[in-house]
Amino acid sequence: MEILKDYKVHLLALLVVVVCEFIGKQTFWVITVYPMLYAMIIGGAISLPKLKILKEKNMHHASSVMIVTLMLLIAKLGVAVGPKINEIFNAKLALIFQEVGHFAGTILLGLPLAMMLGMGREAVGATYSVAREPNIAIVADKYGLDSPEGRGVMAMYVCGTLYGAIWMSILASIIARLDIIHPYALAMGAGVGSGSMMAATLAPISDLYPAIAGEIKAYATAANLMSSVLGIYIYILFSLPFASFLYNVFNRFRNKKSGAK
Amino acid sequence: MKILETIFLLILVAIIMAAGNTIGYQINFIDSLQALGILVIISIMGFLISKFPVFKKLPVILWVSVVAALVSSPIFPGHNWVVEITDNVSLLAICTPVLAYAGLAIGKDLALFKHISWRIIPVSLAVFSGTFIFAALIAQVTLHWEGII
Repeated sequence: MEILKDYKVHLLALLVVVVCEFIGKQTFWVITVYPMLYAMIIGGAISLPKLKILKEKNMHHASSVMIVTLMLLIAKLGVAVGPKINEIFNAKLALIFQEVGHFAGTILLGLPLAMMLGMGREAVGATYSVAREPNIAIVADKYGLDSPEGRGVMAMYVCGTLYGAIWMSILASIIARLDIIHPYALAMGAGVGSGSMMAATLAPISDLYPAIAGEIKAYATAANLMSSVLGIYIYILFSLPFASFLYNVFNRFRNKKSGAK
Repeated sequence: MKILETIFLLILVAIIMAAGNTIGYQINFIDSLQALGILVIISIMGFLISKFPVFKKLPVILWVSVVAALVSSPIFPGHNWVVEITDNVSLLAICTPVLAYAGLAIGKDLALFKHISWRIIPVSLAVFSGTFIFAALIAQVTLHWEGII
């Protein structure tokens, strides 16, 4: 019951929520920012170690409560699935194939960049997934957390916690406004397998298309469900070996080039 | 995490969410609480299922999703009622407390972040963008192909 009794954390959270909801959403140029983003930024400012408002222990409590809040978020998204269950069954092929995009996209965009910037085997751990808790466990199991791969996945985990949601919300806001990709497809893209990042990606999309917001939530949740069920197996059997293989291929190129100089 | 503590935390957070929903989206507090009450019950059911020996292997989030999808689908007797009541709470109002708590926990990760090379920043942005953009592009093609869009 220690976490429940940490009134400091809960009062601060309530205060942050009340202030952010009072401000409401704001639009600058093509980017719309939502109360959830100021909540993360204000919360982050309060927790700065320099200010000494929160102790390390309070921060660990906040992090545990966050996991509990995710259950309510997922429950809210889940009740959008039931009414649209027939439409989701119609889109089953799209749901299966978009998972390939989730897994391949991280590696194809991330790994070459990491290697161009001169990262070593860290690149494998950093780019094989979006580096949430299950992904850390998989790398820990295969390479150990003290290995380069382990440092890579941990570094990415921290980045995801610090600014993953903020970045995804801005990116989704811009891409949705370009109006090239259908909102249903964007919704499936939002199911990245992390609750907070998914919520941050989904907000601007469902806000831009209020008439079909129900369908958008349903597709995103179905895609996220797909990631949770298939995810662990795909990460172990495909993503991690593929990232490692691609690293070796690129590394041969890199060595040849530097050898020729 | 302990079962009772989780249940109490769910109730506490639901009250914070209801306050946000009332302020930000002008839904009266009692209706907001009622909507969140249903979501709390769904979460507790999912959470309890995830404590069973065989089901333990899969994440809690998955079971919560499954329970929520079941009670809102036509096979469940009260599904219309569940959907109607939970419509009173905005998805955005739920997101704000999630990220407020995430923010309050940031301080403990900053020290770790300082040890990481700057290179991880562009790489992480590419990874997050890649998973979203590639999945959306593939979904666009397949949805078109299935005749849905």
